[in-house]
Amino acid sequence: MDRLRRVLTSPWTIRICQVVTGVLFAWAGLAKIGDLRGFAEQIHNFRMIPVPLENLAAISLPWIELVAAMALVFGVRARAGAVLATGLLGVFTVAVLAALARGLDIECGCFGTHDATRVGWVKVGQNLLVLALAFVGALRARRG
Amino acid sequence: MAEKILSMEADEAGGGLVRGIVLICLVGSLLGVSYNWFGLANPSGWGLPWIAEDRMAMLEQMETVDAEVGVAENDDPYLTNDSDPAAVFAEASSNPGLPEIAALGRPVQIKLNAVRLYVDAGAALLVDAREPDEYAEARIPGAINLAYDQVVTDPALLENLDSGGRPIITYCGGGECEQSLSLAYELVAAGHERVAVYMGGFPEWYEADLPVEAAGEGIE
Repeated sequence: MDRLRRVLTSPWTIRICQVVTGVLFAWAGLAKIGDLRGFAEQIHNFRMIPVPLENLAAISLPWIELVAAMALVFGVRARAGAVLATGLLGVFTVAVLAALARGLDIECGCFGTHDATRVGWVKVGQNLLVLALAFVGALRARRG
Repeated sequence: MAEKILSMEADEAGGGLVRGIVLICLVGSLLGVSYNWFGLANPSGWGLPWIAEDRMAMLEQMETVDAEVGVAENDDPYLTNDSDPAAVFAEASSNPGLPEIAALGRPVQIKLNAVRLYVDAGAALLVDAREPDEYAEARIPGAINLAYDQVVTDPALLENLDSGGRPIITYCGGGECEQSLSLAYELVAAGHERVAVYMGGFPEWYEADLPVEAAGEGIE
């Protein structure tokens, strides 16, 4: 356990996790920006937020993802980016689980509209994997 | 462990973590809003309206094409249109006996009995907005399949759709299924003038014991 902790809190592990999470977020953000209309439609399908606010979420969310991705990749405010990414992924995973629980058969929209993966357990697993990466990226590096 | 590691300790440059998160959200939102603003200003328009329209609420305000009397019980159900002859219930001159699906620049809503009249007369193109596997299992006779997901990725499907001069009726899985509604709006946007949405969808049709068509066979 102590050894695992040593590995996870090594500055190298943290940096690699930050960069990988950043690249994934940049990809996800850009894919959504490329098709805002489709993304808004997918937000609507989740039925999680009031209809009038859906477009505002579609307008800002991909760019927040993209800025967080930049922070992670370039190591500027990288920890803030990683904590934000962890939070966002947590929200996304809850959204997917809620959709599953309500039996909604919808597209995830996680990586833009070209990602036709439907909401399901595979998606939950995928999300948790990236969540783990982002979480490690948000750890504090041990000193010395 | 997580709390301890993620906690904002004093040496994190005085709440720098929270400030960083707020900063990222602010910069992101600002960029998003600017990008959308340019999108709205741009004629080719990738911009989204700031406030999303609620299509389900709009549906309630939609004109409804309805044949009020059941077809089986009445030999001449079309005489029910006299309540408001100027409205969309008026008979279409090209299809005497059918309630008209008017060209209003937006979809109208159509009810079961009116759909039935159109299906019996073959006077409309029915478009099934459900997924191909659901469509293959059973569908309203004569319907073609145009899953909303396919349309989103290939808009040419909409423009090339040939209804043979007939109005188009979209339907899907009923209930809260809005794919038929979204598809109807896309069809109108693609230049089809007379488009109706059948919100009861396949479940209502099926429960009314009306004929259905399955993969590889004709009308039952």
